[in-house]
Amino acid sequence: MRNPSRRAFLAGVGATGVGGLADCLGFELESGSREPPLVANRPDAVYRPTHTEGMAMAGMVSDGGYSCALTYSYPHRFWTVTGDDTTQVEVGGNDALHLMPIVWHSESGVVPSDVNPSVDVTRDGESVVDGLNPWPMLAQRMGFHFGDNVELPEQGEYTVTVSVGAGGDRRTGSLTETAAAEFEFTLDYQRSELRDLPFEDIAEARQGTLGAVEPMRMEMVPTTQAPPVDDLPGTAHGTTGSGDAVFAVRSLDDATPFGGDADQAYLAVSARTPYNRYPLPLMSLSGTLSRDGETAFDGYLNEWLDPDLGIHYGAVVDGVGSGDELTIAVDSPPQVSRHEGYETAFRNMPEATLTL
Amino acid sequence: MSDPNGIDRRAFVKSAVAIGGAAALSACLNRGADVDVPRGPETPSAEFPERQHAWNAALPTTDAGNNHHPRHRVLLALDYGDGTPADDERETVEAALAGVERAYERSAAGLLLTVSYSPSYFDRFDDDLPGSVDLPEPRALSAFEDPDADDADAIVHLASDHGEVVMGAEEALKGDLDELNGVAQPDAALTDVFSVRERRTGFIGDGLPAENQDVSGVPDDGPVPEDAPLYMGFESAFKGNQPTEDRVTIRDGPFAGGTTQQLSTLTLNLTQWYEQDTREQRVSKMFCPHHAENELVEDAGENLGTDPRMDDCGEPIETARNEGVVGHSQKMVDVRENDKPIILRRDFDSTDGDRAGVHFLSLQRTISDFVTTREAMNGEEIDSDSAVGQRTNNGILQYINTVRRGNFLVPPRSLRALPPANPDADVAEVAENAEVVDA
Repeated sequence: MRNPSRRAFLAGVGATGVGGLADCLGFELESGSREPPLVANRPDAVYRPTHTEGMAMAGMVSDGGYSCALTYSYPHRFWTVTGDDTTQVEVGGNDALHLMPIVWHSESGVVPSDVNPSVDVTRDGESVVDGLNPWPMLAQRMGFHFGDNVELPEQGEYTVTVSVGAGGDRRTGSLTETAAAEFEFTLDYQRSELRDLPFEDIAEARQGTLGAVEPMRMEMVPTTQAPPVDDLPGTAHGTTGSGDAVFAVRSLDDATPFGGDADQAYLAVSARTPYNRYPLPLMSLSGTLSRDGETAFDGYLNEWLDPDLGIHYGAVVDGVGSGDELTIAVDSPPQVSRHEGYETAFRNMPEATLTL
Repeated sequence: MSDPNGIDRRAFVKSAVAIGGAAALSACLNRGADVDVPRGPETPSAEFPERQHAWNAALPTTDAGNNHHPRHRVLLALDYGDGTPADDERETVEAALAGVERAYERSAAGLLLTVSYSPSYFDRFDDDLPGSVDLPEPRALSAFEDPDADDADAIVHLASDHGEVVMGAEEALKGDLDELNGVAQPDAALTDVFSVRERRTGFIGDGLPAENQDVSGVPDDGPVPEDAPLYMGFESAFKGNQPTEDRVTIRDGPFAGGTTQQLSTLTLNLTQWYEQDTREQRVSKMFCPHHAENELVEDAGENLGTDPRMDDCGEPIETARNEGVVGHSQKMVDVRENDKPIILRRDFDSTDGDRAGVHFLSLQRTISDFVTTREAMNGEEIDSDSAVGQRTNNGILQYINTVRRGNFLVPPRSLRALPPANPDADVAEVAENAEVVDA
């Protein structure tokens, strides 16, 4: 159900003043927030939020082996994460929009988790925002991306420059061939356009129930989902999970691309959200592989980017045998900020085990 | 504190430093009693230390036991132009500097100053800098920064607890004052030799960041704590987090007694810091998670005295792995020698460009010591091996950007006026020429 009046309030209170407030009567607003109240009794798991939001795109540009789509929506609440703790961030009084530079590796479509885009905004050559480093985030309609609420002084055209530095060392294949990149966009900030973005309430009976809203499909932007489990390369060893995250386990016969030797194996864990299978980056995972009561491997499962596995965690091991016991410990849950519906999941994450 | 016009005098003075110029100085002096600063000696060169950077002995100690930092700062970025300096130009520079040193005593309440020179200044000489000086061109020191090179030829750093003093010294050095603090000024100005490319200003110390928070980069609701010495809300230069001046002094060669100065212009984005993080997150990211969990840091951290207790933080990789965060100070522990860092911080905050920023000024024996320290701050291995991201929960990297970086040599005092690249070679050359003349 579209609800234009609340959108008007969300996007236009500064301009519409008291008239805008009148539009909003009938909505129960939390103190300090312009969004509907959170679902009561949220489960410690992925849940359906109160509403879904549309978004607009200022353009798409490619550089340095990456592509970047500059997308935005109205400002909204999210939760920052440090360790196991979340901090709810309310929309600020001057926030104009929620800005999301989506950067992906052009060839593989992988959204890199090892580079943090930086954003500069200018208007008529004057700096408005400089050196903003948006948070890594996880949202039910978008998956893993970077974003933050941004203040803009007035409506009109802005030049937005997104830059990313060179990638990290834990990459394979064509993902190693990227360079530092810069993407420039013109963003026309108009509150009327933001008001026209979809804002759909989720039926009250479904709010807070286990599940997730559908991923959004964006023109020109590849899906940010992890590959379906069946499409992952290597030998399948089944799935396990922790804190509502799904761990799909694979082994590859040749560990060379991951810093090992051809006669070593690579043990890969693709950690993803349930329902929408978005990758879960920025975790500390470690693994223990036991064979006939002996420890065959005990160490970090480091975060890697691979064109076929996507964002995943892995380690070089001396071999994986049928019947091996794998224990996956989550030493730190994903240090990504959360949008509504993900803030209570992937936090309390006990050890997971799997017989390979 | 209020003057007869009802405007806080201190607030007026710090604005005046940022604005600068003779008019601002004059307005400042007209608004209240002249500051009472003792004059300097008649012959500063006879009394002042050979190390320009030997400030510590001239700084009072705070109640917490740390060095007090002069509250007001001006950095004059100077260009020499083409060609190599002549002796009369050296005499002019030295005379101008000595003029302000005679006007104010060498102390935090008076005036502290250094003059430093960049690789682009030294490039004009046929000789290279001696091997005892490590002064490379500035460069990006992480995969995610892209700073402009600061290629000013020279930087004059003026520091005082009194805004009037740094402004007065600046005006005198530019030849605009006949008399300073009752002391006649020489007919010699830095501007006879240099052009002023840029003036950079700033401040450090309790209350000043809060008074100066109405700038871009700080949320509108004034979140900087009233007593904080720096914008980010915490003490930084604990005595236990500073090396001795000996440790940062060049030991050998013609520039022995000098030091190198790394000067970065950083911009701050404190909306995330103050509005999207909690205090616990801020303490985790500035100090370490242990300090946050145990509530070891009160207010700006004065309760820590001289020792930020970094030994309690644990290994950076351990907290990164197990707590998803690593503290800024915590990452620096591994680059310590004898339990002290290897760079001496003399940084301060700034409102230049109406932007919350930091002039991050550090002194170290070699620029390599700075590079080592900065690499520790980048935490690349920690990022690679843990839940900590390139910037996320990686100390304070998310909130700061390096927009400019320069490397400078702070020569010993006797070589502070337009030094040649290799004074020993010059001496040898002069001697050789003398022999030729003798022959």
